Amino acid sequence: MTKTDALIIKSSDQVPRHTLLKRFPVPRNHGVEPGSRIEPGRHWPAPEGATRIKTFEIYRYNPDSGGNPRLDTFEVDLDDCGPMILDALIWIKNNVDSTLTFRRSCREGICGSCAMNMDGTNWLACTRFIEETGTPARIYPLANMRIIKDLVPDLTHAFAQYEMIEPWLQTKTPAPNRERLQAPEDREKLNGYYECILCFCCTSGCPSHWWNGDRFLGPAALLQAWRWLDDSRDEATGERLDKLEDPFRLYRCHTILNCTRTCPKGLNPGKAIAEIKKNIAERRS
Amino acid sequence: MERISSKHTRPLSPNIQIYRPQLTSVLSIANRITGVFLSACAVVLVLWLAAAASGPDAFSRFQSVIGSWPGQILLLGATFAFFMHLCGGIRHLVWDTARGFELRQIYASGWIVVVASVVLTLISWLASMLIAGQS
Amino acid sequence: MDRYRFRSPIGRAIGLGSAKAGFEHWWTERVTAVALVPLTVWFAASLIAHSGSGYEAFIGWLGSPVTAVLMILLLIALFWHTALGLQVVIEDYIHSGAKIWALLAARFGCFTLATVGIVATLRIAFGSWAGV
Repeated sequence: MTKTDALIIKSSDQVPRHTLLKRFPVPRNHGVEPGSRIEPGRHWPAPEGATRIKTFEIYRYNPDSGGNPRLDTFEVDLDDCGPMILDALIWIKNNVDSTLTFRRSCREGICGSCAMNMDGTNWLACTRFIEETGTPARIYPLANMRIIKDLVPDLTHAFAQYEMIEPWLQTKTPAPNRERLQAPEDREKLNGYYECILCFCCTSGCPSHWWNGDRFLGPAALLQAWRWLDDSRDEATGERLDKLEDPFRLYRCHTILNCTRTCPKGLNPGKAIAEIKKNIAERRS
Repeated sequence: MERISSKHTRPLSPNIQIYRPQLTSVLSIANRITGVFLSACAVVLVLWLAAAASGPDAFSRFQSVIGSWPGQILLLGATFAFFMHLCGGIRHLVWDTARGFELRQIYASGWIVVVASVVLTLISWLASMLIAGQS
Repeated sequence: MDRYRFRSPIGRAIGLGSAKAGFEHWWTERVTAVALVPLTVWFAASLIAHSGSGYEAFIGWLGSPVTAVLMILLLIALFWHTALGLQVVIEDYIHSGAKIWALLAARFGCFTLATVGIVATLRIAFGSWAGV
């Protein structure tokens, strides 16, 4: 259980017990396209005889219906259901509404499929305890993504930005007959960056990516860009930095740090981006 | 990828409408808001200098506007905005050396910025009132 | 972009390619910020120290050589930093054709204000405040 009263958050899995503001005080439909406005949805009551009930408000969207997204309310029997949000979603799909659609695979926080926005923050549904959410628990898809159906976002652009940073080893020296050598200290530098599961919680939670996501690469792609920049075996450092040094691709990062706060693997994209900027500065002087 | 066959575009999931304000995002937007507000105050600063250069009459007219209670509220706001942007700016300069990125450091430095801004505002106003009272 | 309706996802991400620039803006914003820390603290402390003093004493201080130099340095650093900061804010939020006009207005405004401030400081420093 990671609900905390602490003012100083030490790790990203901590959930504050009390929040002053659940959302920024902006008009709910300000700047929202008409086709994206969320309408009230159905109410699905708990089965009879259920004693421990938790209410979930879940974003729904059916592309075949031609309508707007809506917010359905589900009552879940906690005695019949596992402890995680993903367990609740599976319970709803099995027992209440089989059309509820979401991505999932490993159920242990390593594949990144079930990334979504729960109670206002992005995290993996399989590692977020139901007890850590409020009443009602508000389940939305990853923020600022085009939605294919229900809680399934279209990650095409996010992966295109990842592809653009060329996430593979690039060398000029010919491949050796054995493995490319790397000192343990150099291998250490990759720790904290290679573990990214590409869930895109960070990119989806970055306000700068909300406003400029078409041109700003976002924390996920930039963290991986740093992973390859800092790999001692890679020989395309100059070219990589050339492609990154752009007022929008890199420098839309204003160190807001929502990314580091929300990473479900405890990684630090903010720090990676700062290292990239530092490298660009160092090669100038 | 945004368009499927006919007129329908896929809806965009809500972003600022539902995302929880956290110390990270709140202090960042506060730094931006104080910065833009200070840009407006810079205009007033130049007008004040021009008034000072134009002679005692223009200057005292300016001072009386600042001395009125709406002017004093503006000045208090400007003082707070200045200290918040100054402390936030120093926090940013530390980050630019790629230091202070652990989550506990981010939160600790963030709260220090908030507290320091309030304290410095109070100290400067108290000092100003004391010194004005003595002269 | 509408003219690239069938562009591939990677093509859309690439856009017009990397500008291979952007460091100068970032660096200058930081350099002016570092300069502004002591300059603004000096200015704020001076204003507080002169609370309640009369016009003559105040102008005497403002017109002294050291103050005038520091004041001009403050104006330069302040309006340079402001121009750079406002540029970033405008680029973040305005994406239509109005962006270029907003950028020009902000930059010209900062230049003009800095010039007015410097001229005023010089006038005070060289003593010609009699409206001549």
